[in-house]
Amino acid sequence: MQDKIEVAFTVNGEATEVSVEPFTLLLDALREELDLTGTKRGCGEGECGACSVLVNGKLVNSCLVLAAECEGAQILTIEGLERDGKLHPIQDAFIEHGAVQCGFCTPGMILAAFALLEENPAPTEEEIKRGLEGNLCRCTGYRKIIDAVQAMARGGVAHG
Amino acid sequence: MLSYHRPETVQEAFSILHQFKDSAVPFAGGTDLIVRCEKGLMPRPEAIVDLKSVEELKGISRENGEIRIGALATMSEIKRNALIRDVAPALAGAASRVACPQIRNRATVGGNLCNASPAADAAIPLFLHDAVLDLADGSTTREVPVAEFFKGPGATVLKAGELLTAIRFKVPDGIYAAWNKFGTRPSMEIAVASVGVALKVEGGKILSARVGYGSVAPVPMRGRRVEAVLEGEALSAALIGKCEEEARAEITPITDVRASEGYRRQVIGVMLRRMLERAG
Repeated sequence: MQDKIEVAFTVNGEATEVSVEPFTLLLDALREELDLTGTKRGCGEGECGACSVLVNGKLVNSCLVLAAECEGAQILTIEGLERDGKLHPIQDAFIEHGAVQCGFCTPGMILAAFALLEENPAPTEEEIKRGLEGNLCRCTGYRKIIDAVQAMARGGVAHG
Repeated sequence: MLSYHRPETVQEAFSILHQFKDSAVPFAGGTDLIVRCEKGLMPRPEAIVDLKSVEELKGISRENGEIRIGALATMSEIKRNALIRDVAPALAGAASRVACPQIRNRATVGGNLCNASPAADAAIPLFLHDAVLDLADGSTTREVPVAEFFKGPGATVLKAGELLTAIRFKVPDGIYAAWNKFGTRPSMEIAVASVGVALKVEGGKILSARVGYGSVAPVPMRGRRVEAVLEGEALSAALIGKCEEEARAEITPITDVRASEGYRRQVIGVMLRRMLERAG
């Protein structure tokens, strides 16, 4: 039996608090406690990137982060990219370029692209591949995903 | 697991580790620890000791002709650090090729060494610079040369309650150092084979050489036979050929899920040869 701990952090700009066990993963806290199911459990071992979120501005696999360690953290999930019902330009680019098929990799992939563009607003194709190297897609063959991110790079728009 | 702790000082960390003894584990990036716990490869600890608030374990600095890298330095921090990129590009390069951005933002150099995979990406680049590891347990401290830190796959000389606190090496001066790893894909890859070489050349002759291999022995391995071939000599095609032979002879690769013994032997020789050719 584990004693629950209260952890307070900010998710998508909103202050929140969860009551979790010491070993509860951030992934599960987001999905189960906060109903933020955009973040997906793919492999559960940090190999696929489907669970990617940003913690304090850094792209991480939420299946390898403990909720307990997020006290005071700023967390961005896929749900946090839209503004007042308007999709983020990266989300629009993914749709326009056919970069979404089943959609399961998409939240993590978009956040990885977001993190890449924050650091490097005009990445080359090689830099895009490096930025997305932690995100697997079983549907698209990656070409359309790269096209979508390249469109963002050409547009020079890092964030909306 | 029963409790999560987040000490603010290294002494606090030691006292928690000491209190819980074998059932406490130090937690840094968690990219190996959490995977092993989730997969049942290790028992869930009773106390998880999150080190990430301990400032003494952080930072990358230069002092008195020495580089100090705190054990908690992440692969991303090392990859980006201007000082490391300038004086130890082999280490910066290795850090930049660990897994993927998500892992690099969490994985620490200390964790990479303490996890002690024979494939550990940080190990060989540190061999090249004769790095020394600072170990402490709250009452004593000791220094261990990095090449003596590893005892076997997943095993190090760390005693119970002891932490790796920092990695130090003299600022490299006039040294050519290179490191490369090889795998079946360019990312998210535990090396099938890796090689590092550092040469100090003076007057056309190699004054000193350091060679290291990953994934081809139970531990990250010094290439002492190749070092002996290189030292005192001038680089030539013949010398490089001899190094390739000695490298293949001194390593002890195995066949496993990632590659065969023969393939590893072949690849190590090729990578070493190309590295030495580029040094000439």
